Amino acid sequence: MKTKFLLPLIAPLVFTSAALSAQDWVHAGTNLGNARIRLAASDFKPVGTDPQTPVLKATFDSTLFNDLQNAGIFDMVSKSMAPQALPGSPQEINLAQWSAAPANSEMVAFGALRADNGRLIVYGWLDDTRNTANPQVLAQQYSENASQDMARTVAHRFADAIIERLGGGLSGIAETKIYFVSTRSGSKEIWAMDYDGQNQHQLTHLGSTSMSPRISPDNSRIAFSSLGKEGWSIRMYSLDLGRMVSFPGGSAGGNNFSPAWSSDGAKLAFSSARSGAPEIWVADASGGNLHQLTAFRRADVSPTWNPRTNSQLAFVSGRTGLPQIYTMDQDGANVQRLTDGGYAISPNWSPSGGMLTFSWDRKYGPGAPGGYDIYIMDIASKRWMQLTHDSGVNDFPCWSPDGRHIVFERRMGRRTEIWSMLADGTQQQELTKAGDNFMPNWSWK
Amino acid sequence: MSALLEHDEHLERELSGEPVAAPATGSLLLHIAIAAAIVSYYYINITHNVWGGPNTGGAIHVNLVSSAIPLPSDQPPNQQVLATETPSVAPAPPEVKTTIPQVDEQAIPIQGKKIEPKPKPQPKQQQKTPQQVQQNRAQYGQEAASNIPRAVQGQTNPGPTSITQGDFGSRFAWYVDAINRKMSTVWNKFEVDPRTPKGARVFIVFSISRNGQPGNPQIDRSSGSPTLDRSCLRAVQRVDTFGALPNGYSGSTLNVSYYCEY
Repeated sequence: MKTKFLLPLIAPLVFTSAALSAQDWVHAGTNLGNARIRLAASDFKPVGTDPQTPVLKATFDSTLFNDLQNAGIFDMVSKSMAPQALPGSPQEINLAQWSAAPANSEMVAFGALRADNGRLIVYGWLDDTRNTANPQVLAQQYSENASQDMARTVAHRFADAIIERLGGGLSGIAETKIYFVSTRSGSKEIWAMDYDGQNQHQLTHLGSTSMSPRISPDNSRIAFSSLGKEGWSIRMYSLDLGRMVSFPGGSAGGNNFSPAWSSDGAKLAFSSARSGAPEIWVADASGGNLHQLTAFRRADVSPTWNPRTNSQLAFVSGRTGLPQIYTMDQDGANVQRLTDGGYAISPNWSPSGGMLTFSWDRKYGPGAPGGYDIYIMDIASKRWMQLTHDSGVNDFPCWSPDGRHIVFERRMGRRTEIWSMLADGTQQQELTKAGDNFMPNWSWK
Repeated sequence: MSALLEHDEHLERELSGEPVAAPATGSLLLHIAIAAAIVSYYYINITHNVWGGPNTGGAIHVNLVSSAIPLPSDQPPNQQVLATETPSVAPAPPEVKTTIPQVDEQAIPIQGKKIEPKPKPQPKQQQKTPQQVQQNRAQYGQEAASNIPRAVQGQTNPGPTSITQGDFGSRFAWYVDAINRKMSTVWNKFEVDPRTPKGARVFIVFSISRNGQPGNPQIDRSSGSPTLDRSCLRAVQRVDTFGALPNGYSGSTLNVSYYCEY
């Protein structure tokens, strides 16, 4: 009886004691603001007389400019249009100069760089040129060992900070890496490089043929398929330890290819012919709990996980004749076909979970022009868009972690190289120039 | 066995009534018991209709969201499926028209041949068929590809964001721009009924917590078009984060009033 009267007394107290801290209001709406942010990246001001400063500054300036231009979301002010002055601090910058013609920039990144006894010290700021009352958007400070590599790394970090602040919450990719196969050392080994093609170095030294490297989501291990004494098996290279580590279950049957990590790093899917025809198998990251997902008599290969939910896989199947792209649930059920003809291979699922990229020859057959091109497809509506055309044979596309870039291999004539482009097909640039390089894989972060 | 019975015993079996009372009552009781069991099972295990109820009831929940490429675009939407970096301002080449050559019978006069005046052909009633875009043919003419929607289609009228209360808008204009950009990437205009009048605006309010997550979206002023209202609310629900609130801002949340204009 008593509770009947207590409840109406307590309830108003509960509801009025909501957090009453100070809150501001902001009004915004659609159709306001420009599509691309016009950003000026000023050359940084050199400070001090250390002889290393000019060399490191040149590397830093060019790396910062390239990172911001590659991001795809900025309209960069070219260096010839920027004002002559080199502002080194917020007190030195004259914002009116930067917002006026010919620069017409909305934002300006500037700062100071100095090398001091083997240390590289960089101060960077990002200012809003139109907001003279409160211009500062970002203020960063870096102190690292003075070397070309660290000058590039600091530029990458500053570019990432700018992209994250202005790019709507998506992290920048300036510090991500691309893993690929190269024949430069004589045999097909796994190599790594920065996302812009710098710092290409060899990782494995197995002396045999290795293919389709896939880095784990925590950047600790690379899974790849390699030809060894048991045939083709899935093997693991540990980046932390710098050597091969074991992956039990990856070698049975002698025909194991194309490993694919789930985005939580818990599972690895790959294609294995141990039961006859190639089928999709899934194992834990440690190699246990191995089970088969597909059981159609024709080949099922090249799995890729939906990184947003980890509850679906896309794969290539020959069950209707020519290879086509299919999706299925992670238990093998609900197989759906996505492509309607031609020869479609190498699917890769976008980080947002909504799109696939793959290599497709829509006019496959004798007498047809042939040639594969990179396509992207929106899975829900099955609408597709062709990104490359009239440019060699393009294969093995892979999304970047921000969903804005795709890296792929292109064979023109006798050479196969790795290219990257924006996800709308623009800004195609060649990343590797020496030897034959293929099967790129973009790291997760 | 009955063949072994004596004749008298046969008659005795015929004349004496079969004991039917006990089995009959037993059978009746059994029938009643079964019927009662069925009825009571129905009442005890009655399941209310779950269709349309708050729980999913085992139905598969489908979220039909078409994604956009997270890149800005300056081109208006079109049906071109081929990405090209050099969109041409020239229109697509026209269709090749095959014309039947007209024969002029009076060009070379022939002696003795009477030329009958040709009857003037009646002007044919031209049926104006609307130009059908062929669905099974890719449009060409080097337009920039826009078959899959791009985030932030080119804006025709850029303008300053309107800020009224508080000084957040003047101190952190870049954050308000980021909100605008993020909302325009997630708002699917095609969810709105095309009969909605152009320029209709729905005003919604939501809050942004310190880590950038939006919360509690509500309609402040409806536009009159329920599909526009719903699409604007869904757009906010689609956002994971707007980016962390600026360090210089001391509040715990930021209240945003946003309008979606069709």
